[in-house]
Amino acid sequence: MANIQQTQAFYGLTLEPPSAPTASVLCNVIPGLKAGDQQIFEARGQRIALHRISENADRTERKFTTVLEQDVFGIVRGVATSRIPGTSTDQLIISSDSGRIALLTYDHDKNQFRRTHLETYGKSGVRRVIPGHYLASDSRGRCVMLGSVEKNKVVYMLHRDSDGQIIISSPHEANQWQSLCFALCALDTGWESPIFAALEVEYTESEGDPTGDAFERREKQLVYYTVDMGLNHVVKTWSDTVDYTANMLFGVPGGQDGPSGVLVCAEDRIYYRHDKHPTLCVPIPRRQGKTEDANRKRCIVAGCLHLAKTRHEFFFLLQTEDGDVFKLTISLEVDDQGRQTANPERMTLKYYDTFPVARQMLLHKKGFLYIAAENGNSQLYHIDDLADDPEFEPHNTFTSDDVPTEPEEEYEPNYFQPRELKMTHLAIDIPGLHPLMKTRVENLTSEDAPQIYAVQGTGNKSQFKTIRHGLDVEVIISNSMGNVPYDNIWTFKHRASDEHHRYLLLSSSYGDITIACSLGDSVEQIENSPFLENRATVHAQQMGDSTLVQVHARGIRSILESGAQNEWQVPSGTVVAASANDRQLLLALSTAELAFFFMGDDGILNQLEEMPEMSGKVTALSVGRTPRGRQQARYAVVGCDDCTIRVMSIELDSPLESRSVQALSAIPTSLEVVEMLDPASHTTVSIVHIGLQSGLYLRAVIDETTGELGDVRTKFLGTRAPRLCPVEVNNEECVIACSSRPWLGYNHPQTNLYTVTPLINEPIEAARSFITPDLSGLCAIQGSSLLIFQIPSIEGRLSHSSIDLSYTPRGMARHPHFPLWYTVQSDANALSKATRNQLRGGSIDENEEATALEKHLGLPRGTSHWASCIQVVDPVYYNKVISSVELDENEAALCCACVPFASRDYEVFLAVGTGQHMALDNKTTPKGYVHIYRLHENGTKLELVHKTQFDNPIYALLPFNGRLALGVANELFIYDIGMKALLRKSRGAAVPNQIVSLESQGNRIVCGDVSDSVTYVVYKPKFNRMIPFVDDVVQRWTTTTTMVDYETTAGGDKFGNLWIVRCPEQPSQEADEEGAGGYIMNERSYLNGAPYRLDLRAHYYTQDIPMSMQRTALVAGGQEVLFWSGLQGTLGMLVPFVTRDDVEFFTGLEQQMRAEAPPLAGRDHLMYRSYYVPVKGVIDGDLCERFMLLSYDSKQKISAELDRSVKEIEKKVQEMRTRVAF
Amino acid sequence: MADKLRTQQQLESLQNKYVGTGHSDTTKHEWTANIARDSYASYQGHPPLLHYMAIGMGMPMEKVRMHCMEKMVLPCGPAPRAED
Repeated sequence: MANIQQTQAFYGLTLEPPSAPTASVLCNVIPGLKAGDQQIFEARGQRIALHRISENADRTERKFTTVLEQDVFGIVRGVATSRIPGTSTDQLIISSDSGRIALLTYDHDKNQFRRTHLETYGKSGVRRVIPGHYLASDSRGRCVMLGSVEKNKVVYMLHRDSDGQIIISSPHEANQWQSLCFALCALDTGWESPIFAALEVEYTESEGDPTGDAFERREKQLVYYTVDMGLNHVVKTWSDTVDYTANMLFGVPGGQDGPSGVLVCAEDRIYYRHDKHPTLCVPIPRRQGKTEDANRKRCIVAGCLHLAKTRHEFFFLLQTEDGDVFKLTISLEVDDQGRQTANPERMTLKYYDTFPVARQMLLHKKGFLYIAAENGNSQLYHIDDLADDPEFEPHNTFTSDDVPTEPEEEYEPNYFQPRELKMTHLAIDIPGLHPLMKTRVENLTSEDAPQIYAVQGTGNKSQFKTIRHGLDVEVIISNSMGNVPYDNIWTFKHRASDEHHRYLLLSSSYGDITIACSLGDSVEQIENSPFLENRATVHAQQMGDSTLVQVHARGIRSILESGAQNEWQVPSGTVVAASANDRQLLLALSTAELAFFFMGDDGILNQLEEMPEMSGKVTALSVGRTPRGRQQARYAVVGCDDCTIRVMSIELDSPLESRSVQALSAIPTSLEVVEMLDPASHTTVSIVHIGLQSGLYLRAVIDETTGELGDVRTKFLGTRAPRLCPVEVNNEECVIACSSRPWLGYNHPQTNLYTVTPLINEPIEAARSFITPDLSGLCAIQGSSLLIFQIPSIEGRLSHSSIDLSYTPRGMARHPHFPLWYTVQSDANALSKATRNQLRGGSIDENEEATALEKHLGLPRGTSHWASCIQVVDPVYYNKVISSVELDENEAALCCACVPFASRDYEVFLAVGTGQHMALDNKTTPKGYVHIYRLHENGTKLELVHKTQFDNPIYALLPFNGRLALGVANELFIYDIGMKALLRKSRGAAVPNQIVSLESQGNRIVCGDVSDSVTYVVYKPKFNRMIPFVDDVVQRWTTTTTMVDYETTAGGDKFGNLWIVRCPEQPSQEADEEGAGGYIMNERSYLNGAPYRLDLRAHYYTQDIPMSMQRTALVAGGQEVLFWSGLQGTLGMLVPFVTRDDVEFFTGLEQQMRAEAPPLAGRDHLMYRSYYVPVKGVIDGDLCERFMLLSYDSKQKISAELDRSVKEIEKKVQEMRTRVAF
Repeated sequence: MADKLRTQQQLESLQNKYVGTGHSDTTKHEWTANIARDSYASYQGHPPLLHYMAIGMGMPMEKVRMHCMEKMVLPCGPAPRAED
């Protein structure tokens, strides 16, 4: 093969898909549901997802579930729906960077998106004149318009032929040379010709006029494009000048429902415009309050329409940039006879509630408001009140009466009083990680696997998050059962036909006792129970119709329904393991013999006379559950201390005949045969779960006819030998593996793959299902306490715990000795705490209500003001912010580092880099400071030692050999701590523009430039000089860098690329040569840069902007990977390939996948991953993982091409992920 | 001669189809304005990039998008007077 990598190759995988919504829309795509049961179709990064809101019968519990999520390998820019008349479900329309319009339907049976049409209209990529930026679809489903930011618009007409097939027309262009499109929407015209409205600015004159007068006179036009369905063309039918600040359009219902026309949202005003009706205008109310600027004008950033078709009523919910939502209604004129005409008379704007700023608001017909939040969790609010009462809050209600409709005319601004939520309440908080500012993987709690610490969010809704791989557990009861440590637990019914569990048995081999409890409304110990209590139980179960069986070391006690007890004594030795199903019971004795029992209909156990001896001591065994509709299970699995397991037949006609043997790497300690659903074939298969002494967990499928074991998957769970317990979660058979932490093995509801995920809980000994009339969940034994818990959801795979921060986090640093994090936070255009207190005339820290209101409403805004602070966060013990230091004088903290200064005996100080008076305009010259804080009380208290002024804001700090390295603009400095200020030790120009990141190993410092990739600098301590010796040929707008090894740096850039560059051998050696006579000091600069150039080793387009990168292991015992996190909430990794074979295999698979499963939105996969720079050295794991979802035929085809079996490919693909991560 | 004509026609069709296709008399101002417009269009078109800027500027994405759109009208100021 020609394209085999000569150097290290990586496997790019997404651990957590981005959560930032780009666009979303309500739709009805699942056939057979009511029209009110709408779904939400959403684009998040390069993925599209279909969500559903489900409620229980009495509407008390709600769930937001993702029905389907798919990676489309393209930048999704807009989504829309269209219901073509006469069809039963909506068409989903995606505009992406593929230069094609994609029409999808949802195939409910197969749970996948099906592409109905893919029409090319332009070049691929996000370009100025290629339509796709705007997408509007006619409300009657007749046509769709796509627009670009400049010039081009294209209309597709949709209809249906007699067979019910959707037909898409050829594109109709409506191009306008040198005109910019600011917004686009579809008008509701009823069944008249469809019209699209656009906000356009023509720049021909402005550009041609050197005086600049034409630019001053420029106008924004509202343009109507009418689609003539009969003549098959698009014409510009009307245009009129609108307020120049207009930024958004909303179509007003037309036809029978309303007056038609558009809402033009401009700065501080909302206009109603239509060619047939007079204009109306209402100012956007401004917030009242001491901290609010009375002159600040708001604009509308999101909105949605509610239309009750049966009553012909409608209203809009419009959100301002502060998050305040207003309800806009249009009242129509009534004529002399009291009939409503179509002439709008008045617009009324009423303050509704304040929500997080939305990318998209959707009003769900079941009475929910979905906020696809721009920053932070998306939220679903339940609507309690539609604010129909005109008497309510008259001071927050405003009308268009007497407001001049000309943009130039003066008007009185309106003011309203914002408040807490009143009309709605939060129903569901949908977890999301965007915007993810920084992450760091550390193990601060000495758990098996490291945790991911992240700073996330914006403004006062920012959070410090601890992210763990695992499922959250909701503990309902945790009850101590005395001081004896128990080691096993069983729950079972009284009769086979019962619905609920009746008995709970706890056994302790340490105390050699058993405790029997009865389950009902409460858990109570049974006095004089029929169970044997002065001995440890090996196994207990309900068998037959109503016989209770307790196996202990010396024998079996079976309790018949009549109360009669049968005892069976062990002939010699003791019972070491036992397992049973409804009819069959298998025991292993210490003499390595097996004893088999079969229960007849009378409830009495009959022993098989033969007691075969095993090859070694039996350590574990398991009998499969009785399959439905049969009397007996076919196989039992027996594990021995010679590291083997044997599959044995336990059918009565061939009892205890060995069928197959499997050798293992260690002694099996726990075995469970479980009938589980195979999601691929939708049939139940017998799966044997194996726990080994080494902490490994294996899973193999038993062949029904031959009893052979196949399809073995392995995972390392922890340092303790896992004990396996079959349980039921979400009405599905699952397995809990209790190792050094508990794990749950289940079929994931979305990916349909068998997944093993840890439970976020302390280690447990054993767990069982727990079903009582009040509660169905799980119970477990944890040391000497009984735990009853539930697993609320098995959908996500990450568990978050969060701590609230004050402002947008910009950086974080860990204390080198204590589990503490220092975060620096700053918010642009926000009032600092000192200013707020001054305006209010006092602090509100003591006033809980006011603090909560400020948190709800967001920080007060102020142009060119900065609010900033430094906070100490303890995520481990106190789980809160321990102390914080507010910055004043318009300073903004930008970065921080913990620096042990050699001159102070390596005492650790916190260094914080700031910028002062930073602004967007270039009028002011910002300054920078480095604050040095002394750490008191184990790092929890900060005391300012001094601050040192610099000419530019400081974006990067780095502890460097007992000193502090920092970047000021394009220069690199090394400072030492002094009494009153930092003392400069060394200085050197390092990069062309602005240092934004610093990394070091030894005397080598890697400086990341804001727009010019990385430069390697060597520090020569003897001569106190810093010499840049190697830089890059490509301009990369660095966001983050990390040194993978001494020569190699991995980084990310603002355009969404991941790259790995490496210093060639020669300069690397030269740079480290001893002394000044070294060649490198006298080396001449090459082409205005450093003397040498870096080699590119890997390059990969991820779409999301990488904000942090780190070389780390993610699971216990896993290999190190390059972990990265992106702004939109992506967690991903690059896994280095270990063998050449793997590279060859995955290269082949990726190629086949590109051909067999091309991306849904029509983007070419290779082109997409090579968006800016050709992809190099990285194989797209996300694409390879789509192999699992292919149809049987496609899988076979690829497997034939690759010359491997389907199972083998699946295993390889899955192991690539599970070996190193989750 | 025919060849030259065809080249000319092809160039014109390109210039019609794709804004910013240069010609022999492209001025520095035209060129820079074109590049700037392309950049502003790209900032809006890539949602993560717009998000990144919005966070840095402390504004909602819609406002940053409007800034970008507005900048596209005359990104490099009015054209310099043509020298006669």
